[in-house]
Amino acid sequence: MTPAVDPQNGFPIPVVDQDTKPFWDGCERGELFIQRCRNCAKWLWQPRPICSTCQTPGPIWTKVTGDGVIASWTVLRPPTLPAFASMVPFIVLLVTLDEGVRLLGYLVDDAGRVCQTDGSAEGVTTGRRVRLRFHDQAGTPLPCWTLV
Amino acid sequence: MTRPARVARHRQAAVVGIHALPFSKNIGMTERHAGALAILGALADAGLTVKDVDAMYRFVWENTTEMEMARILGVENLRAFGEVDYGGGAGAPTIAHAALAIENSLADVVVTWRARNRSSGGRPWVSQLHAVGQDQFERPYHIVRPVDGMALHTRFWIEKYGWKPEDLGRVAVKQREHARRNPAALMQKPMTMDDYLSSRLIADPLRLFDCCLETDAAIGMVLTTAERAADLNITPAYVTGFGMGSGPQMTAMTFYYGAELGITPSRYVAPELWKNTALTPKDIDVVQFYDAFTPQIPLGFEEYGFCAEGEGPAFLQSSASPLYNTSGGGLSEAYVHGFNLLVEGVRQVRGTSTTQAPNVRHSLVTSGNVVPTGAIVFSKEPW
Repeated sequence: MTPAVDPQNGFPIPVVDQDTKPFWDGCERGELFIQRCRNCAKWLWQPRPICSTCQTPGPIWTKVTGDGVIASWTVLRPPTLPAFASMVPFIVLLVTLDEGVRLLGYLVDDAGRVCQTDGSAEGVTTGRRVRLRFHDQAGTPLPCWTLV
Repeated sequence: MTRPARVARHRQAAVVGIHALPFSKNIGMTERHAGALAILGALADAGLTVKDVDAMYRFVWENTTEMEMARILGVENLRAFGEVDYGGGAGAPTIAHAALAIENSLADVVVTWRARNRSSGGRPWVSQLHAVGQDQFERPYHIVRPVDGMALHTRFWIEKYGWKPEDLGRVAVKQREHARRNPAALMQKPMTMDDYLSSRLIADPLRLFDCCLETDAAIGMVLTTAERAADLNITPAYVTGFGMGSGPQMTAMTFYYGAELGITPSRYVAPELWKNTALTPKDIDVVQFYDAFTPQIPLGFEEYGFCAEGEGPAFLQSSASPLYNTSGGGLSEAYVHGFNLLVEGVRQVRGTSTTQAPNVRHSLVTSGNVVPTGAIVFSKEPW
């Protein structure tokens, strides 16, 4: 059952299904899980019921450190939804994990707070190493990254 | 016992009717109303009537189904119908489906249209707070607008190819010049490079003038057989061919998750297009590249083989470049999921563009290159 979202001030929330529940359950525990094929060992993202390389069903949800590098990034300035108004400007990173898959996440500080920044003071740039943190966004624990 | 003769196959299709209602910020009527008027206008342009229509194809994102539109217009029977998904990727594929129906004798007169109150109707993401499927890993982080998804690609391309801000600014300025020759274009104010460079950042590195307009619009297009087109009092734009493609691991707008970052679906469309048309980029006299955002123009020249990878910004300034986005495009004429680019491609064949390329034989129109997409060539002469 997906909870209601306040249409005026709510953040977009994930609608979890059977294929994505293990990912979000891991986030609740402060852990990042990525699927890996039980046959060919390929890492898979986004979540899926079979391996896209060898078509073996049931990829194994595997805990990863979340360490990676910045593949790209953007600074969001005008808040598109009212919920984001107090956060701008902030940075969304595209991170390539050491396992090779890419995920999105906010740039956060060591405590998981979203950094209010355009990135210039922090020297955000592609190729910089980042480590995993979790940010609680109105009850949804979101994987995010902080600069190493 | 005699077997029935096999139906003729591979007839050629031609665009014979186009019509756009005046572009505006508030069209003052429903999308179904505007869409119906655009279709009637396109039929009148062709010298045809509703009684001739026997098929309809539309975008999945078109809110009026082809059944509702056929009911409103009073079409007796749709012998063929269908929809194509993926927002701005759907334009050329929708026309391709219409042409396929004609080529394979499923239908004789096919209507397509796009009516969208994208300005007065509000921004779609405001009500998309429940993030399903791929969106659940994107929307919670404010990757909600097309520009948010595009910004992360653009940063990658800027770093990979060494683009300067002026490389994208040149596209915005050029298309504004084209718009100012086109009385139907919404943006008539001149734009200088300084105007471009001083426009505000929306999703860094993309600025306001890198982005397309937000428009209320309705455009209709009618296709029929080349044979029937010859009897109509218009210049047909013959459908020489088309291609479609998705590429691997496609997530619309945000295909960050495959093996290689920044390779767009158009790289998969291009070989299909050139094989299907038996043409090469050198045969193309004028192009309309899908332009929700400026980076799509230099990339378009590269993806379709007009120049090598990384050479787009230099090529589009060179004398070898065909004219591009001659109506002002999505950036300065109107944003209609690229349907205005399709009718402009037809106008170039007819010789009626306000920025007309000389002696057009083949006119290329592409659809959005960051979603599953396609491209189509309209020609002056039949096969």
